[in-house]
Amino acid sequence: MILEALTVGLVVSACFAVFIDEAVYSVAALAGTFLFTSALYASSGAIFVAVFQFAVGVGTLAILFLSGEMLGGKIENKPKPRNVIVVLVSGVLLSLPAAFLSFFGATSSVPSPSFGETLWNLRAVDVVLQGLVVLIVALGIGIVLFEKERKGEM
Amino acid sequence: MDFVILSLILLAVGIYGLLTKRELLKVFISVELIATAATLNFVMLAPSVSEQVGEAFLVLAFSTDTAVSAVILALLVIARKKYGTSDLSQLVEPEKQKDKSEVET
Repeated sequence: MILEALTVGLVVSACFAVFIDEAVYSVAALAGTFLFTSALYASSGAIFVAVFQFAVGVGTLAILFLSGEMLGGKIENKPKPRNVIVVLVSGVLLSLPAAFLSFFGATSSVPSPSFGETLWNLRAVDVVLQGLVVLIVALGIGIVLFEKERKGEM
Repeated sequence: MDFVILSLILLAVGIYGLLTKRELLKVFISVELIATAATLNFVMLAPSVSEQVGEAFLVLAFSTDTAVSAVILALLVIARKKYGTSDLSQLVEPEKQKDKSEVET
């Protein structure tokens, strides 16, 4: 059941990332896509891949938020509720075949070490901490840029 | 559930965005979705070949994905600075777009 919920969330957030016009909302939806992919890997047993996906996603998103904030300017058009509902429904409908059909039999699962072993013995905790540091720095710079723009200094 | 169908759906959404959207940022997001679909296939089909081969392909896929992201972001920044837009239709033929806007005004 968890895998199916993650699948629906992944496809819906991918649809939002492509179909929502505003850049910042689109990048936020892409963040959801990376997060759901990472959770999908983790729940399938591929912990190390999940950590890598999380770190790569965090780096990409940090740069995307910065460039979106720098190049995109102020948010002028918020997405209309009708468009949001249409994208949501189409995303759920698109994800149904992946969630409930199976052409190749049982779900593939990846043999992998446990979460604690991956974090500590394989040193994945270093990757996670570096990703978090990059994300926090990028968020700080983003907030400074946003505040400067709000005060009209830029 | 089936991961192959899931990666096919992600690939379809990415290709649709690549073909229909004109903003360079949307193109970048579509390329990211396509790369995610490919990586999903590598990860889920890796145990059927060999775990080492799967990990090697995975690292290769992640590094290629990051390099592609860097190139597209550099293009985005350069295009925005040089032409003042990130719209692909205006970037391809900037002279025609200029002429059109002059005629309209």
